[in-house]
Amino acid sequence: MNKIQKTNFFSYNFFPKNRRGTDKMLSMYWFVIIFIVAAAIVYMTALFYGKPYDVRELETNLLINKVSDCLVENGYLINEVFVETFKSDFLEICNLNFNVEGSHGWKNDQYYLELSISEFVDQSIFIIGPFSEGNINLRDLCSNELNNNPFCIEKGFYSIDKENKEYFVKIFVSLRKTEKNVR
Amino acid sequence: MLKKNKRANILTENVVFIILNVVFLTILVVFLFVKVSDGAVFEEKYSKQIALMIDSAQPGMQISLEVKDAVDHAESGWLRNNFHEAFVVEDNLVKVKLSSKGGYSYSFFNDVYPVLEFYPDNEEVVITIPKENE
Repeated sequence: MNKIQKTNFFSYNFFPKNRRGTDKMLSMYWFVIIFIVAAAIVYMTALFYGKPYDVRELETNLLINKVSDCLVENGYLINEVFVETFKSDFLEICNLNFNVEGSHGWKNDQYYLELSISEFVDQSIFIIGPFSEGNINLRDLCSNELNNNPFCIEKGFYSIDKENKEYFVKIFVSLRKTEKNVR
Repeated sequence: MLKKNKRANILTENVVFIILNVVFLTILVVFLFVKVSDGAVFEEKYSKQIALMIDSAQPGMQISLEVKDAVDHAESGWLRNNFHEAFVVEDNLVKVKLSSKGGYSYSFFNDVYPVLEFYPDNEEVVITIPKENE
């Protein structure tokens, strides 16, 4: 009996039924499975190695440390803080440069820093500031989801001047650089 | 005669099946190997690491950084002839380039003028932060 079988590539067995044994192994389903496994491995590898190192937390903390070191010398607030031109010369006094690479459409707008120095007892009485440097638009984006928004940290510390007058220094930093740290 | 043909057919199918699987797995392993040993990952790693080191450094400091991974995964012929371009500071950007096509840069906020010296034989980079009056 020569029964002609119609076979479909998408059927369970692509090969005619009169070929037994290897038919099952060579069916397209085996290759579908290994393609799925391979695709999963490729996807996971690309995801792992394609994700950049996120160093924004480290960088933000380093910036706050640098500003703190700049404002306080031998345990006392530096004299320049009390000079009128401190705000305008702040970046120069603290050796800061907020320029960044021109890639990803950045225009030196990836940093924001806000500084205030108030009396320690009544922190609503400001001696300096609050004043800011950098891109002020970064300030309001902090509360949203971290991954797609700037990384923000605020830290404060107690300090005195040479006449032992007490102050509270507050530093707020917001750092974007999202394209190079998050994907 | 017919039986013999059938056996040969089964053997051929087995061989084809095994070859296809081996080829497939080989391609997968090669992909993983290329991805893992890709120099671009190390360009990013070292440019960010050096930028953060410069940010945290004080004037007058000299820092030695081992860059064995970078040397191992660099395009060897290119690195041998262009080692002076591998680790560079321009303005306030650290640029790391380990192959003729690659390259990654990252900025630092510390307003200093560091000097990077790369010693491929010792697999190290020496970062020198000049004193303020230098």
